Amino acid sequence: MRQRLLSSSVVGPFAALILVVIVVSLTTDRFLLPQNLSNVTLQVSIVALAAIGATLVILAGGIDLSPGSVLALSSCTLAILVKNWGWPVELAIPATLLLGALLGLCNGVLSAYLRIPAFVVTLATLTIYRGLAFLITGGTPIFSISPKLRPIFYGSFLGVPLPLYYVLVAFVLAALFLRYTVPGRAIYAVGGNESAARFTGIKVNRTRLLTFVIAGLTAAAAGVLTTARLDSGSPNYGVGLELQAIAAAVIGGASLAGGSGNIIATLFGALIVAVVQNGLNLNAVPASWQQITLGTIILMAVGLDMWRKDLGDALRRLFRRPGQKGSG
Amino acid sequence: MTESAPAPPLWRLAGVSKRFHAVRALTSVDVEFRRGEVHALVGENGSGKSTLVKCLAGVHQPDEGTIYRDGSPVTLGHPLAARALGVATIFQEFSLVPTLTVAENVFLGRQPLKRGPWIDWDRMRDETGRALRELGASTDPDAIVRQLSVADQQLAEIAKAISLNSTLLILDEPTAALGLHETDRLLDLVRDLARGGKAILYISHRLDEVFRVADRITILKDGKLAASKPIRDVDMDAVVHMMVGRDIEQHYPKLPAATGRVRLAVRDLSTDEGVDRVSFEVRAGEVLGLGGMVGAGRTEIARALFGLDRVTSGTVELDGVPVSFRRPDEAIAAGIGLVPENRKADGLFFNFEGPRNVTTSDWARVMRGWIFDLSRERAVGRRFVDMLKITPTAMDTTVGFLSGGNQQKVVIARWLHAGPKVLILDEPTQGIDVGAKLDVYGVINDLAAQGVAIVLISSDYPELIAMSDRIAVIREGAVMSILPAEEMTEHRLIAIASGAEATAEVVRARHRRVDA
Repeated sequence: MRQRLLSSSVVGPFAALILVVIVVSLTTDRFLLPQNLSNVTLQVSIVALAAIGATLVILAGGIDLSPGSVLALSSCTLAILVKNWGWPVELAIPATLLLGALLGLCNGVLSAYLRIPAFVVTLATLTIYRGLAFLITGGTPIFSISPKLRPIFYGSFLGVPLPLYYVLVAFVLAALFLRYTVPGRAIYAVGGNESAARFTGIKVNRTRLLTFVIAGLTAAAAGVLTTARLDSGSPNYGVGLELQAIAAAVIGGASLAGGSGNIIATLFGALIVAVVQNGLNLNAVPASWQQITLGTIILMAVGLDMWRKDLGDALRRLFRRPGQKGSG
Repeated sequence: MTESAPAPPLWRLAGVSKRFHAVRALTSVDVEFRRGEVHALVGENGSGKSTLVKCLAGVHQPDEGTIYRDGSPVTLGHPLAARALGVATIFQEFSLVPTLTVAENVFLGRQPLKRGPWIDWDRMRDETGRALRELGASTDPDAIVRQLSVADQQLAEIAKAISLNSTLLILDEPTAALGLHETDRLLDLVRDLARGGKAILYISHRLDEVFRVADRITILKDGKLAASKPIRDVDMDAVVHMMVGRDIEQHYPKLPAATGRVRLAVRDLSTDEGVDRVSFEVRAGEVLGLGGMVGAGRTEIARALFGLDRVTSGTVELDGVPVSFRRPDEAIAAGIGLVPENRKADGLFFNFEGPRNVTTSDWARVMRGWIFDLSRERAVGRRFVDMLKITPTAMDTTVGFLSGGNQQKVVIARWLHAGPKVLILDEPTQGIDVGAKLDVYGVINDLAAQGVAIVLISSDYPELIAMSDRIAVIREGAVMSILPAEEMTEHRLIAIASGAEATAEVVRARHRRVDA
């Protein structure tokens, strides 16, 4: 089972990432320069963090459209707490993360307990949360918050940018959580068959709620990183983050029907998107084409996943292996 | 056809056979349906009634045999072909769209048009209203179907059939959801429709109704015609006898278990889902069978005990301690397990392999502190694969790739893993092969020997009688009678379950319904 988990769900996206890296580095010499690789890492870190929450929600059979707005509201809150209220950064950041978790809790209560479809709930909070961000800032960005912020994003340890550590730690924790804990297993069970989950006594609503709380938390973490990167808070940050986070999960092979997907594969999904965008940037491809490319990658990734079984069956028919029996 | 015989029957099936893979659903059935006649079709669960109806309705095509309409052979390749020839079917599950109005439903897919693409709403309403009035119904054609009572939905369904100008009306268990008064009205209506010249095919488990409404009766047994004759030539007892027929001897390895103290005591249990003041006790090591027709309320009793449906009155005691559950996790924690009737919808996680499916009932047993011990989980899976003779591929492939029998064993293994005090098995052998059935019987014996109290629901009556110690017959959500298995025969079970044998309790249950 251990090997199967690796082979089936992670190797595919990893191979795709390697392929994309090879293709991009063939088109431009600058891709493999340390400075550029560091740039890609910094770019991908914000999306990758938010993609953790997006993946968990999707695994449990839900969807979260609000991470971009949670990011914006978190960013503005952090800026106000530090600059206007004089909170120390060390206290303001945990408070901001807590706020994100609360915003996720609202999404979760509305969808899991009050039975409003998650798509509708988070579509509504997508605009409500961003509206709140405009409300508390009066619509103007807050600049020059604190000199302590930029080092959080631009600092490095042993020559490696700090955001890489954040991302790796977060993904390893998420992977361990999903694989080795009861709530992690419950997420897969609820997404796999909600009715069967009820029949075996799994707390379906509580599980769904938890995924939204984690999604709020990771979106707020992305907000903290964004704020640190620019030393400013703005209600305009994070527009379109939901698309990128869901794209990372889906390109990593997560099924929107719930129950199947791998969190490490989501990291590869996020990296694939970032590398392709970086490659297009380095080759001076206009931004319009970058959007078209992202959409095409999503279609190809999901299409390949859907057809994989048929393709596999067709190949097996061509090269019928003796001794391979179907299970009876 | 050369002699001057009376006009040929409206529909005639000659030598019709149908098989699904290895199962012979119908074997060389001959039957006729005449204008102006109410023709009842009866038989046990799985005797081939539905298959026969679906052949007439164009849903299935017979493998052998011919279907004649007015004496000429026809092919019903599609439900629309049958409808064009005047066959209207009202299936057990309504085919109405709940969010549309009655009129929209009646004309679904064939809305009358004014000039151009515009729907002629007035005509739709008028014709629907006329059809409803013919039925003596006062339903508003503009009412949304979802907001109607079940009885009115049934009438809307029939109005739809009438407006199709059908000549053969097939009613599949039309009174299953109706109360006494509504049933009376429907039976009158069926008689009127027949008097008006239509042929009616009336399928029902309720023999008392059949004998009130039918002119002719056809009895199916194991997909074969047991009899087809005027109803005045038979009595209820003879019909029950023909439904049961002679059975191929089958070996049931029931072991007598030493029964101990009462583990599960249910008193006057009722729910809004139709469980009606149910009382019974199950002792340690005892198998209590719940017999009854499909839809009699047995699954609803299981749901109520497992915390899936809200209990409106009554008490449940487990090992002498009163319990009440709001959710299944509470029932499981107290020691109740349920193997659900529908293993695909309610039982299996198709994204999990065998071991992860098994352990869902009790994760604590495969955890070390806060984390899953995956090798212990595999060991648990391996143990049940060996014990229940599950295919070894179940260890590493998701359960969607397993056969029905192996899937069912995985679900049963889940409850062996949890080690419940009371295990409810709802149709545990439905749709699985004989070998797997024997394995399931073995599990039932083992659990009983370990002192588990077992509630067995099965529509396979020989199996139910053989594997149970006592049998409670359920009809309309109420317990009709509880008998030791030795005193129960298939004949008697069907007689009680279908209302042919009106026990004192049956009469009381009927009265209670009238009061309600």
